[in-house]
Amino acid sequence: MEEQAYKEIFTKPIVRWGMITLLGSIPFCFGPAIYLAVVYHAIPPVHTILTAWFMIASIYGVEYFMTPISYFPILGVSGTYMAFLSGNIANMRVPCAIVAQDVIGVEPATKQGEIIATLGMAGSIITNLIVVTIAAVGGNALMSLLPEVVLTALNYVLPSIFGGLFAIFAVKHPRYAVWGVSVALVLLGVVKILPTWAVVVCCSFSTIGFALYCTKRDTQKTSNP
Amino acid sequence: MTAIPAVFIVGLQAYIFSKKAYKAAPLCGLTTHQCNKAFRVGATSAVGPAMAVFIVMVGMMAVIGGPMTWLRLSFIGAAPTELTATTIGAKAMGVELGSAEYGLTAFTASVWTMTLNGCGWLLFCGLFTHRLDKVMAKFTKGNMKIMAEVCGAAVLGTASYLAADQALKSSPGLASVLASAVTMILLIKISEKHPKLKEYNLGIAMIVGMISAVLTLNFT
Repeated sequence: MEEQAYKEIFTKPIVRWGMITLLGSIPFCFGPAIYLAVVYHAIPPVHTILTAWFMIASIYGVEYFMTPISYFPILGVSGTYMAFLSGNIANMRVPCAIVAQDVIGVEPATKQGEIIATLGMAGSIITNLIVVTIAAVGGNALMSLLPEVVLTALNYVLPSIFGGLFAIFAVKHPRYAVWGVSVALVLLGVVKILPTWAVVVCCSFSTIGFALYCTKRDTQKTSNP
Repeated sequence: MTAIPAVFIVGLQAYIFSKKAYKAAPLCGLTTHQCNKAFRVGATSAVGPAMAVFIVMVGMMAVIGGPMTWLRLSFIGAAPTELTATTIGAKAMGVELGSAEYGLTAFTASVWTMTLNGCGWLLFCGLFTHRLDKVMAKFTKGNMKIMAEVCGAAVLGTASYLAADQALKSSPGLASVLASAVTMILLIKISEKHPKLKEYNLGIAMIVGMISAVLTLNFT
């Protein structure tokens, strides 16, 4: 009964609006390109566009489907629509969703978790829009006001976010944390030849595999003591 | 000006999704107060990362100009992807980015490349996200316990990669990963007694991480 109501009120409209906003935004993305063509008559030769498209797709093509798939267990349906429309996924959307779930005290991958993650991400999107807009208008002026040491420190925002994010979950699942870090260190420090997307996939899926194995073993232990 | 509609969609989507979330919240036992708090926590936690985006953005504006940067960073892309696309566009034109030959046409080539690249994700997620849900449900056979474990493992796997990648890059990077992780663990312990602190944990851990990086830089 409640399952059905949740589907009607949340999941269905989210899928509908998610599709509309993502697919609907594609034509708008071409706005600047069309503007340049119409107003400045500036359009690159077709073969240049195709060459560039081919080159960029050969770098990111696999990521078009690998990143959404590997983030899906964390983001869920609504989170995936939001994160891939607004970008800045690993450095902003995922941490904000997780901190929101942590503060409210709901589990990821549950209905409560999905609602809270959606709201946390919405909050982060609003902050991002405000900051990015301020930067576009007065970025250069503001930059000169910040002291040198702050600018240096901000270069290290990413390692600081990722360290903290890792720790939140490492406390909850220490075994998986040890596994994940070992795989990541071996692939990045020793093997070194895999492309980024392959490393992400290996880390994420091998840890999931390890978790499934552990859960299965634990349930077997409790059922036959 | 042409960048406005696309950025508007991002805001619109955030608005619609939040409204639906508020509406569905009572069904799973969440109060409006908790929802407000989740939104606020998301907004405040984003300040730190957004500051970093700000810095990168000012750098990017020097290369591709304010409006295009505004569009690309409010929308799908993150700075490294967009800068790669910009470079590729220029290269396809046979021009070096930032050189004197990087003129209007080369810039349009960059714009086209960024746009086409971004559409890859939009298309895939627009068309297939709802199917992923079914795949996931099949994978875990609807078992909530396994679902939670898988989710935790997925975050840890990805976070391990992200943290290890940053830690191996430089010694200040390593220092900030370690300092922020250790601070976080301590804060989690402390906030068991003082739950109010929880919402600032990530912010505090980040600041400690960044300070450690700066200190390492000065001592090496």
